[in-house]
Amino acid sequence: MLLSLNRMGPGRYALYSIGVLVALFLLFPILFIALLSFGSSQWLQFPPPGWTLKWYRDFFDDPRWIAAILTSLKVGLCVMALSIALGLPAAFALVRGSFPGRVALRAFFTSPMIVPIVILAIALYAVFLRLGLNGTFIGFVAAHLILALPFSIICIVNALEGFDEAIEKAAIVCGASKLEAICRITLPSIRLGIFAGALFSFLISWDEVVLGIFMASPSLQTLPVKMWTTLRQDLSPVIAAASTLLIVVTMAVMALAAFIRRRSEP
Amino acid sequence: MSSTAPVLVSIRDLVKRFGPTTAVDGVSLDVAQGEFLTFLGSSGSGKTTTLFIVAGFEDPTGGDVLIDGRSVLSVAPNKRNIGMVFQRYTLFPHLSVFDNVAFPLAVRRRPRHEIEQAVKETLALVRLEEFAARKPGQLSGGQQQRVALARALVYKPRILLMDEPLAALDKKLREEIQIEIRRIHRELGVTILYVTHDQEEALRLSDRIAVFSHGRVVQVGSGADLYERPADAFVAGFIGNSNFLPARVRGVDAERTAVELPNGAVVAGRTDSALASGGEASLMIRPEKLFLVNGRDAPDANYDCRVDVTLRDSTYLGDSLQREVVTPWGQCLMVRQTGDAEALSHAGTGAALTLCWHSGDARVFRKTAGSSAPRS
Amino acid sequence: MRSTLRRGRAWPLRGFGPALPALVFLFVFMVAPLAVLFLRSVTEPTLGLGNYAELLGDATYGRVLFNTFTVATVVTVVTLALGYPVAWLLVILPSRVARWLFAIILLSMWTNLLARTYGWMVLLQRTGVINRTLMDLGLISEPLPLVNNLAGVTIGMTYIMLPFIILPLHATLSAIDPAIMQAASIAGARPRQIFFRVLLPLSLPGIGAGCLMVFVMALGYYVTPALLGGASTTMLAELIAQQVQSLLNWGLGSAAAFILLTVTLILYAIYVRAIGLGRPQ
Repeated sequence: MLLSLNRMGPGRYALYSIGVLVALFLLFPILFIALLSFGSSQWLQFPPPGWTLKWYRDFFDDPRWIAAILTSLKVGLCVMALSIALGLPAAFALVRGSFPGRVALRAFFTSPMIVPIVILAIALYAVFLRLGLNGTFIGFVAAHLILALPFSIICIVNALEGFDEAIEKAAIVCGASKLEAICRITLPSIRLGIFAGALFSFLISWDEVVLGIFMASPSLQTLPVKMWTTLRQDLSPVIAAASTLLIVVTMAVMALAAFIRRRSEP
Repeated sequence: MSSTAPVLVSIRDLVKRFGPTTAVDGVSLDVAQGEFLTFLGSSGSGKTTTLFIVAGFEDPTGGDVLIDGRSVLSVAPNKRNIGMVFQRYTLFPHLSVFDNVAFPLAVRRRPRHEIEQAVKETLALVRLEEFAARKPGQLSGGQQQRVALARALVYKPRILLMDEPLAALDKKLREEIQIEIRRIHRELGVTILYVTHDQEEALRLSDRIAVFSHGRVVQVGSGADLYERPADAFVAGFIGNSNFLPARVRGVDAERTAVELPNGAVVAGRTDSALASGGEASLMIRPEKLFLVNGRDAPDANYDCRVDVTLRDSTYLGDSLQREVVTPWGQCLMVRQTGDAEALSHAGTGAALTLCWHSGDARVFRKTAGSSAPRS
Repeated sequence: MRSTLRRGRAWPLRGFGPALPALVFLFVFMVAPLAVLFLRSVTEPTLGLGNYAELLGDATYGRVLFNTFTVATVVTVVTLALGYPVAWLLVILPSRVARWLFAIILLSMWTNLLARTYGWMVLLQRTGVINRTLMDLGLISEPLPLVNNLAGVTIGMTYIMLPFIILPLHATLSAIDPAIMQAASIAGARPRQIFFRVLLPLSLPGIGAGCLMVFVMALGYYVTPALLGGASTTMLAELIAQQVQSLLNWGLGSAAAFILLTVTLILYAIYVRAIGLGRPQ
């Protein structure tokens, strides 16, 4: 009962209405921004007096926005690559290793998810000021990598735990070296986990605001930082255009992830 | 079952469709008060769906369920006052054994002393008094199902539904709890509807068995009825082991139907359904009703049917000797010999023997897409 | 690393080597900076716990802590009240419908934080759609102050935290065997009784996990309070950023950071313990 809809009685209508309300609540601002970005009102009137692509033109005509997108892309791709490069071996150690403190190490690797980001931001800010890393590309990548690493490690650990090590041993018995067995058997088997980890790492970096605010210099800003500084001044409709573009990117990535998952589980 | 007991549960022309598939296809059954009736069938035969309709978890597409002559279809499960034990362990994991058994009385707002008394008695009935304080997670599977049984009995329902309650347990434990269930049925006189796919379990527990196949009840009767007088090849194959011999109908009289086997031998068997002469049929005979004799030996006069066979294999099973023999038309048959098996114990593989049986022990069925003896 | 592997069999740290790069990275870029920050909190401007005493003793900072805990509590309660029914629906809806609901939740969760917050800034402003609609309907005559105050912060944070309570609740609820509800029903329990005596107790681990997660995140949240809140409704994370960035008061800022970190870690320890014990069997 209660876990089957048609036998729940009238209570289910209350559930339905809360469900619909929450769904609308979650969708509303997103749809609203998307509509507003095509509205002609400078003052964000709604419903808009007319429709225009002006804000998108403004966005793409402004070299600072374009530079911010490129910076975000470059940082995101670097974070993605490094996150897998560090996370993959770390995941192997967590799953296959037999050293004492393995559980503690796993907790440590996920700890960046727990530490409030603002604390991490000022701690890094202080150190980077001294090291001259503030406002540099390396600074951005290192800061975002801290947040991305737990996600890639968790994704790969999950995949690796679901992979039977006996299959890798079978490959070694067949004559493959340890490295060959890992590269030709294990890695292809856990590729979905690696892929998910890479995707998460990119998205974390792509959306990261707080570390960026402290890290950024006027000459080097990621897209969220550029949005933040613009937002602090006024609620320009150009931000609505930028936000809509970001929403489209998110939906595209979600669709891609769903597509890949569906193809991999026949 | 005594025929004088009044009908308690009446299932009338029950139909249940899930989209395009028909799970229950016109099931009608009467269950007498105090009876132990088992629904026997393989998975997907409609037995569990029927039970769930009686419980009120599914609404039928058609038909009716009456308890005490009144339709209960519009009655919610919690108002039907039925006890139920499920296939999976459905104890409430956050409650102790005591509180699990007390649950039905607590939701009925019975006074505290009455609850304590009833729970103690019921836990004693399933012999789990000393586990009252434990959490379900600390019990074995067998113990959990006994608690579930106690929970289903504590409010003294007149009807107890059991949906393969022992399916997850190992054989030895299963047999132990089967004995408990029989004892409890005897002591309480509660009416039990029991679902299982295990024919041995059905035979051991039930007063009557309803054999389900493809959403229908194929035959209802006592274990002996089903074993000795199966209505068709399906029931014969489902209950116990059987050999099915391809045959062609030669002649029909009141008592026996004469059939011709592929090698030309004419033998006979009993039949309930009218068979056309010349039609294809199959002759069913149980492995323990077959006898093997040396080809030269004079057979017992009782055994009026005989076929020459070759011995392929013998397996010693302690209480019996199982032999595989091959007929002239290449079919492999099972023979089970008990007691007097001594005589042929020396016969080696390849020995030419004669298979014989009494025509009263064989049955002739209309030809179906039947197979040889299924495993129990 | 090679040598580590070769002599691995006898070595107690077998298989540890591959974790080293990630470990070193996190030590250099997370542990060391946090340690430096802690040192600053007890050495600047003078050695001692003066910064902590000032934070916990001063009424202005007390107000900030009060704001922070109030918002976090309200947000947790509201997300639970809205999230529980949704998580429940996700379990019992036909999978086709549930998939759409899921997609909406994930879309909102993964949409850029600033984009979502911007949306609420526009919606909630004095001349925004919500105030305009309410005035057109004649429900109010003056625009409601919905932004630059705690109301705005609470709405925005509720929006952002909802997925974080729905997902753990959904995991817990979908792990409950529906047959247990059937057993309760046939045993005589009415739907209300099934909910309060069976379903709710069984979903407590998920409720605890979700609430703690939301509460912890809300305590340290920076972006949404900074954009939707006002000058008088500063929360802890903003205070930390202000002290460090605008006032260059590193000692006090670091101390505030460590108060926040300590509370977070204590709640996280409770979270871990609750999950560990809450799992049946």
